[in-house]
Amino acid sequence: MIVLDALLQGILMGLLFALVALGLTIIFGMMDIVNFAHGEFLMIGMYTTYWTSLLLHIDPLITLPASAIVGMLLGLASYYCLVKYLLRGPMIAQLFGTFGLMLFLRYLAQFLFGTDYRIIQKGLLVGKSLSLGPFIIDWTKLSTAILSLLAFILVYYLLHRTKLGKALRATALNKEAAAYMGIRTDRMNALAWAIGGGTVGIAGGLLVNFWYVYPTIGLVFVMIAFASVAMGGFGSIKGAFFAGVIVGMIELLFPVFGYLIGWDFLGPHFKFTLVYFAYFIIVVLRPQGLFGWTR
Amino acid sequence: MDTLKDVFDFRDFSKVEQVVLVLFSLFLLVFPWLEAGSFVKVVMIQFLLFSLFGMGWNTIGGYGGQVELGKAQYVGIGAYSVALMMVWWKIPFWVSMPIGVLIAIGYSFIIGYPLFRLKGHYFAIATICTSLVLQDIFINWKLVGAAKGIELPIRDHPDFLYMQFKSDTYYFYFIMALFYVGIFYMNWFRKSKLGYQLRMIKEDEEAAESLGINARWCKIKAYSIASAFVAVGGGFLAVYNLYIDPYSVMDLDLSIKIALMSMLGGAGSMWGPIIGSAFLVPLDRFLGSWLGAQKGLIGVDFMIYAALIMIVSAYQPRGIWGIIEQFRKRGA
Repeated sequence: MIVLDALLQGILMGLLFALVALGLTIIFGMMDIVNFAHGEFLMIGMYTTYWTSLLLHIDPLITLPASAIVGMLLGLASYYCLVKYLLRGPMIAQLFGTFGLMLFLRYLAQFLFGTDYRIIQKGLLVGKSLSLGPFIIDWTKLSTAILSLLAFILVYYLLHRTKLGKALRATALNKEAAAYMGIRTDRMNALAWAIGGGTVGIAGGLLVNFWYVYPTIGLVFVMIAFASVAMGGFGSIKGAFFAGVIVGMIELLFPVFGYLIGWDFLGPHFKFTLVYFAYFIIVVLRPQGLFGWTR
Repeated sequence: MDTLKDVFDFRDFSKVEQVVLVLFSLFLLVFPWLEAGSFVKVVMIQFLLFSLFGMGWNTIGGYGGQVELGKAQYVGIGAYSVALMMVWWKIPFWVSMPIGVLIAIGYSFIIGYPLFRLKGHYFAIATICTSLVLQDIFINWKLVGAAKGIELPIRDHPDFLYMQFKSDTYYFYFIMALFYVGIFYMNWFRKSKLGYQLRMIKEDEEAAESLGINARWCKIKAYSIASAFVAVGGGFLAVYNLYIDPYSVMDLDLSIKIALMSMLGGAGSMWGPIIGSAFLVPLDRFLGSWLGAQKGLIGVDFMIYAALIMIVSAYQPRGIWGIIEQFRKRGA
């Protein structure tokens, strides 16, 4: 029973991780850039929902679009002000460029909001839970999972069923050829950043309902998102989805196993270690990730 | 004999570089007698330490072109082996430090063998992951002090065997000696067979393999050299701070700082890591002490630091050394 419960919670948590990873994998798939600042986008999404719902006295769920818009604008701004220039350089310069952005946003948040831990205290769904027989599910987590699924379906539809998605994928596959076909690759890249920022903004807006926000929160999530994106294969939407769920399950199942066996080594303080370890094993056995393709 | 010649032969550098190197060495020699404040001394020691780290990183990250972001785990291994051996068995620094370096080399082979199956971003993130796993293990491992860390026993009087001194001057000369060992080693390394092989791999790995270079093995060797360098620095850190914990010696920030300084200075060049740390360490420290002390400006120093990182990576990915070379070419 406890295992099944952990499995369920793990899937719910995993869907959130997948939503965080979605933006990262879209951005990577388009232009081979690993965005270190992704966790900071999440943090800013969290702060946006927190402050708008607190200051305007409206329900945190209604402020989700605000988080999405702020995330999109942030993505666009970082593309046009920084990433566009980074694309000319080697991979290491790109990594450090986004790393600089991450530091900048983190300390900007610290400067503006201080280091206090903040969480949304009241809202339509906050603190309420749904009991399904023996299982108790927080409404906040359930709504997060549902929205995450929706976001994945939307992005998948956008990429694979629309003309715009075709242009996006063409840019991802071969930038020069796409440019010859009259696709404005610069705009496609910007669009990828907007989608990436928007989805992670939503994730942040949902997360702040049950997770404390503070300026350095990004690092925890960005590492998990990295691990899940790499596990699923960089640039693969399907991969990000399944790897996110796997990560969520690892994170919650192993402590339970550890508890059942009575083996402290698998305790809850090692949950993220196990995620990194699983990433390492999967990637070494299958260097292109679970759903990645070799170029 | 040829090896020795390679180590001490700086003749292929330009006249300006030679003169600057000599002047810089003289400056370092007399620095402790310049009556500088203790804060400046600490910054200088930090600068030399990070140059040492950076030179190590430069072998795999600069010459080899592999984006390695997990060097902090080797700082931790070096620091912990010195500290633990001193606490448990009272083994002097001069014995425990080489053992720590050997452990780091052995560990780097174990980690490096699977790691170098990976390429590009997968590799970069895997190095971060290995470092984080080790940090988490040390945070939770009660035997080695867990998150509280270890305090080294302080000896009553200055002791050369345990590298405990009252004044920073001794530490300064010690890290300076290590720094010069590093410089001489790198001077040999860039002309060695491995150095040329690595540069070839960086340019075109497939072409290198077709010429009979075992790329993976070369990278593993360079990785363990880098780890040895960093572990020496870690050992120094343990006796210098007399206190270590997983957050100070194994943090992701430290890994990134090491790579960042080399990259900002100019990865793959002899002087890049030194220039990078000469630039970033004082900036970090002075900005921190100047702005950090003022109320209401918490974090602004890091924002300036971060903005600088972004500007350099966007406009000159080859770092400060790249800018210098650009000017030199224009002048010639």
